Amino acid sequence: MSVAPMPDPEEFGRNPRQGLSGRQKKQIVRSVQVILILIATFIMLVPIAWIFLAAFKNHLDVYTLKIFFKPTLENFSLVFQEPYTLGEKLVNSTIVAFFTVLFAIPIATMAAYSFSRFRLVGETAMLVTILATQFVPAVVIILPFFVMFRDVGLLDTRLGLILVNLAIVMPFAIWMIKGFIDGIPLDTEEAAMVDGSSRAQVIRNIVLPMAAPGLLTAGIFCFIIAWNEFLFALILTNKDAVTLPIGLALFKAEEGDLWNLLSAAGIIIMVPMFVLALLIRKYFVQGMTMGAVR
Amino acid sequence: MAEVILKNLTKRWGDFIGVDDQSLSIADREFLVLLGPSGCGKTTTMRMIAGLEEPTSGEIWIGDRKVNDDLPKDRDVAMVFQNYGLYPHMTIFDNIAYPLKVRGTPKSEIAPRVEKAAAQVELSQFLDRKPKALSGGQRQRVALARAIVRTPKVFLMDEPLSNLDAKLRVTMRAELKHLSRELKITTVYVTHDQIEAMTLADRVAVMKNGVIQQLGTPDEIYNDPANLFVAGFIGSPAMNLINGSIQNGHFVTTGGTRLVPVEAADRASVVLGVRADDMRVSEAGEGDIDVRIYAFENTGEATLLTVQWGKQRVIAKGDRHLRKDQDDVVSISLNHDHLYLFDPDSGNRIAG
Repeated sequence: MSVAPMPDPEEFGRNPRQGLSGRQKKQIVRSVQVILILIATFIMLVPIAWIFLAAFKNHLDVYTLKIFFKPTLENFSLVFQEPYTLGEKLVNSTIVAFFTVLFAIPIATMAAYSFSRFRLVGETAMLVTILATQFVPAVVIILPFFVMFRDVGLLDTRLGLILVNLAIVMPFAIWMIKGFIDGIPLDTEEAAMVDGSSRAQVIRNIVLPMAAPGLLTAGIFCFIIAWNEFLFALILTNKDAVTLPIGLALFKAEEGDLWNLLSAAGIIIMVPMFVLALLIRKYFVQGMTMGAVR
Repeated sequence: MAEVILKNLTKRWGDFIGVDDQSLSIADREFLVLLGPSGCGKTTTMRMIAGLEEPTSGEIWIGDRKVNDDLPKDRDVAMVFQNYGLYPHMTIFDNIAYPLKVRGTPKSEIAPRVEKAAAQVELSQFLDRKPKALSGGQRQRVALARAIVRTPKVFLMDEPLSNLDAKLRVTMRAELKHLSRELKITTVYVTHDQIEAMTLADRVAVMKNGVIQQLGTPDEIYNDPANLFVAGFIGSPAMNLINGSIQNGHFVTTGGTRLVPVEAADRASVVLGVRADDMRVSEAGEGDIDVRIYAFENTGEATLLTVQWGKQRVIAKGDRHLRKDQDDVVSISLNHDHLYLFDPDSGNRIAG
């Protein structure tokens, strides 16, 4: 028996009046997609590339679009000297972000576990309220914060900033960690309980190790949010507790913005984030998917 | 080692009744199977014994201790879960060792006991691996090893074989049976699979809608079903249930065919139960009644004949060498010693 050749599935549905075959159409769509992606990438990368170049230019080259120039490290040494003293800001930013994460993750984990595993009175209402705090524009509540902090003496202190950042990251951390804990099968916890664990032992021996990638992911997100936080730090600090993003404002001088210094400071802000992302990208992906796939 | 006693145990969620005022006494070293369709309350009953679910009312006793208010960890039971409930971040060794570690067993004792338990379920060469690296059957063995590494008062097993493929299930069933006879520990086993119930149990409790329908040995529930539900649930193929009436000491089908003599008083409506095994298939005209074949199936070990009997279809088991075709006419005879009569309204068995 002879076998008829299988019609090409792409050819099969082809309308003879149309000039393009299905395969050609697919290629065109693919090309358009690639072009759009390249444009988007270009738009996003150009400012960063510009900053990287500017940081190594001297103040004369900075306004030119020269790609080839004599690179200098002078900007990086200048920003750490008087009157800019970026080093202090770096210490402030690090301390604030670090302690924000240190307090946020354990508290958020406990809250998330309760939301995930216990039936609480008004559970949905509480969860929605926690999320709703995220929708309040910071500008609206910044003045009450200022007055309150002034009265209790938290103005221009790192502790004050840590508290504010905690309020900012907590809803996010609770929701994110809850997603990870929801993903841990209840069977596993129940098995541990029957095997002889108390609730605390279940959390320590089973839940925490299993949720670890998620906690790490949430912690890094919180660190990035606190590290980049600008508005509250701008209003609530003026000298002692100034953080890096606010430090950037120092580079406004009478002769205009000092773009070469600004860029150098910008890189100092960005580099730790890049390094962090590189170091933990394995857990990052693991954590992201663990929350996504229940 | 202990007996388990449930006294008037009830579990309700709002209006929904999971377990309805059930009492049950499980003897020391007994292997009791809770059998029933999904949602019948069997798993809820087990979870209440484990302490994972709080009873709405009633008492649970393990040994000479009322455990209602005890946490799961204080009840001294071991449980095997349907989805295994392994600890994915621990090695197999640590999984099996966990119940010992968390109960403060001296370190020197842990390793030999884990190795012994692992050997009993043939897992010795896998102790360094993580659960992810094991097959479904091996994971179930880990769960089993974790249960037997201690000597708990009671084993609880919640459909432990239902996630395995058919072939593995048969192997594991035999291993479970062997192990349970070896360990001699009171066991409560939940399943919806009647073969597991028949093969493993000392006694079976058949449940439906939160109520135990019948409690008895596998023999009793198979050969002496208490009601229509048990009769229809136990046995494969299911018992044939034929509607009819009793007239002058004979069962008469709704179609008016006078079939077999029965020892029961006359009544207008009755259900006759007869198993496929208890029907003899012969050539047309040789048996009690001639019927037309609706479907002929050869399973290899036997033949199954679905026959049209008036408005009803009935399944009979034939010799494995029998060859017939759809629409052939055969004759069927009932084994008069193994007929069951039920009241169609209450579902209860009628003596006779």
